[in-house]
Amino acid sequence: MVSFIARRVAAALGTLFLSSVLVFLAVQALPGDVATQVLGKDATPDAVAALREKLSLDRPAWERYTDWVRGALHGDFGTSLVSGKAVGSEVSMYLGNSALIALITVLFAVTGSIVLGILAGLYRDRWPDHLISTVSLVGMSVPEFVVATVLVLCFSVALPWFPAVVLYGPDASVGQLLPAVWLPALALAVVMAAYIVRMARTSVIDVMASEYVTTARLKGLSTWRVVTRHALPGAMLPTLHVIALNVAWLAGGVAVVENVFNYPGIGKLMLSSVQNRDLPVIQAIALISAVVYVVCNLAADLGAMALNPKLRTRGRTR
Amino acid sequence: MSDIHHPGRRSVLAAGAASAAALGASWLLTGCSGPAAAPVLPAAAKKGAPDRGGTLRIARPPASEAETLDPASALSAYEYLGALYNRLVRVDANGDLAPDLAESWEPDAQARTWTFRIREGVTFHDGRRLTAADAAYTLRHILDKATASPQAAVLAPLIDPKTLRTPDEHTLVVPLKTPNAEFPSLLTHYNCYVVPDGSARSIGRTGIGTGPFKLESFAPAGPGRVTAYTDHWQGRPVLDAIAFYSVADMSARSNALLAGQVDLLSQTNLDFATARVVAASSRATVARVKNAQWYVLPMLTTEKPFTDVRVRQAMKLAYDPEHVVKVALQGAGTAGWDNPVPPSDPAHIAAHPAHDPEKARYLLKQAGHEGLATDLYTSSYDPIFTPMALAYQDSAKRAGIRIKVKTAAADSYYTQIWMKKPLMATYWYTGRPVDQLFTQVFRGGSSYNETAWSDKDFDALLDRARRETDDNRRRELYGEAQTFVVEKGGAMTPMFADRLVGLSRKVRGYAEHGFEFDYLGIGLKGA
Repeated sequence: MVSFIARRVAAALGTLFLSSVLVFLAVQALPGDVATQVLGKDATPDAVAALREKLSLDRPAWERYTDWVRGALHGDFGTSLVSGKAVGSEVSMYLGNSALIALITVLFAVTGSIVLGILAGLYRDRWPDHLISTVSLVGMSVPEFVVATVLVLCFSVALPWFPAVVLYGPDASVGQLLPAVWLPALALAVVMAAYIVRMARTSVIDVMASEYVTTARLKGLSTWRVVTRHALPGAMLPTLHVIALNVAWLAGGVAVVENVFNYPGIGKLMLSSVQNRDLPVIQAIALISAVVYVVCNLAADLGAMALNPKLRTRGRTR
Repeated sequence: MSDIHHPGRRSVLAAGAASAAALGASWLLTGCSGPAAAPVLPAAAKKGAPDRGGTLRIARPPASEAETLDPASALSAYEYLGALYNRLVRVDANGDLAPDLAESWEPDAQARTWTFRIREGVTFHDGRRLTAADAAYTLRHILDKATASPQAAVLAPLIDPKTLRTPDEHTLVVPLKTPNAEFPSLLTHYNCYVVPDGSARSIGRTGIGTGPFKLESFAPAGPGRVTAYTDHWQGRPVLDAIAFYSVADMSARSNALLAGQVDLLSQTNLDFATARVVAASSRATVARVKNAQWYVLPMLTTEKPFTDVRVRQAMKLAYDPEHVVKVALQGAGTAGWDNPVPPSDPAHIAAHPAHDPEKARYLLKQAGHEGLATDLYTSSYDPIFTPMALAYQDSAKRAGIRIKVKTAAADSYYTQIWMKKPLMATYWYTGRPVDQLFTQVFRGGSSYNETAWSDKDFDALLDRARRETDDNRRRELYGEAQTFVVEKGGAMTPMFADRLVGLSRKVRGYAEHGFEFDYLGIGLKGA
């Protein structure tokens, strides 16, 4: 078991290292000079020279890379080319706001969709299954900005229950943001839930048809106990990975939804940084997204191991 | 933000996702808004007197994360400027110059030295009295290299900051390097708001001016608030306060208006579908800023086939601007007939050749380009670009011109396409004085000369107009310049579009034209 964990952690670290190299190289690979790209229309020779010095482009790439990674490990991602503030603190402020949405989205989506998925699986091919499957399919097919717009239309414009947009800046307190969190979270949850519902349904159907469930039933256990004690852990296994991928997707999926709601989160920062060609911020966000992906997948693997006796005990049987 | 195009500011979200979102929003809203959407958009804002007091909430696109209140900066937070500051000279509703902090101005006989009489009894928000020294400092601040003001490019060839004189507390003397009878009009630009003497380091945060509102709070690309300045020299404004909120996404701004979270959308040209939804809503309505956007199809005169003036003339004669206005603007604008000076400008002349596809065909044949085929670039940067390009394509067919409309990425449109591709769609805000318009966009060598057109005769004509101190004669010369551009220049101006502004039904006294916004008179009714 220990060796399994060690291998997975090592793979995760390797992935992170590779992604940091890729993020760094992607920026270097911009056509022409980075400074010229950043300045665009205003690329006068003076301005280019000044920016080249600021970005220390005259030093070799590997040196800049090690400096960048060393800084990043200490939470120092350099300074924003636009606002002149430290990238680390700026990104973490926006990231905190996004975490609030993500937390509520995950709570909504995961609990809701697992319950719905199991119900659909248990009532396979009867009306609850048809209803849940259809609704989740629609949720999966409709892009999140449409869901967001419908929600705004219904719950901000027609029924003034929630604010349509956030009017505060990134330094807003949780209390100020809380009334505005529900609609974006719901919009994301609808899109995310669809996948998890489908996955949970399929897993439950598979597990309920398996021999060990039949055995459990023959032993005379109640349906409730069969489902919670025997079917659920088995069905959770593949679902876990879908959840992990979806949580990781949140890191990028928030971009569009946050813009619809003017929510001061990481997605909005990412979009404005791309428009402003604020490279240090883009690099930091790309790296942080990679970390979120890797950590989520690692957590899913380790979670799967905890749920799957075969994986848990493999070390011993060898 | 580059000074004239207002990218950043206007583009809102250059990325395609956003326009898709806006589109989604509009069809959803149109589809769901119960009663049939009003087919006709209101032509003007609601009339009537506002109640005294109240807070107006304005949603605006932020200029950048590095926004500042320094009016001279390229990254100034545009909406705050008119509320916090005054200029020496402003533009009135007829397009003529009107006194602001300068009571009067006069040139010497050659229009080489200008003397401005600075208004007495004006105080800054910190209680200091306004003097000519503040006006002189403002000019030096704009010209200072460290400020990097976009308007410096216009003023630096004219003014040497060392020669500015203030013979007494309320007189400013500006000696020019070359005669310019239109000089005061160059001071109406929104970079030219007057700031207190010696305030360069702090003005970006303090916002201390002489305007009708004083600053309470400001966060770059965040919320801010200004409150009525009771000692304002024109009397106190109607409102008690204005709250500014930055909302980058255009559909988010419209949603905020529809949900009643804000009262006015600044620098937002609603697309037609959204405008109909807003006009049909019980909370909000639509007002128009007449001829606010100047749409251009610039032909690069340095690229074949547009190097040949006959081809340029054929391209202009080939299409019917009235058709483009009808198709692309659904009638909400005025045909431009390739004259860059808007019809509402006092200097505008109406003379232009009539739409003549046969003559266009003949000219093309002469130039050896019969059945000309060329690409026309557009993008989702602005919702009008593509309809305009398609309407042009359709109209020019009659002259045998085959246009292929190509869509380029919005976020790099102004770095990769503008001034690089031989034919593309673009726009500017109107509101530039005629001399600045010609000097910046049509004079050979100017950095905003988007057709790369360089004609010594035209430049000489501009110089003559600038030197002419007789107002009528000068107006004639600017008329000749318009004819010159229509006949020989590379810019096609199919139309001037009205800006469709979303605002609450409670707003009264909304008046905006060019870069002028009436912050004194705007107010709310029954808020």
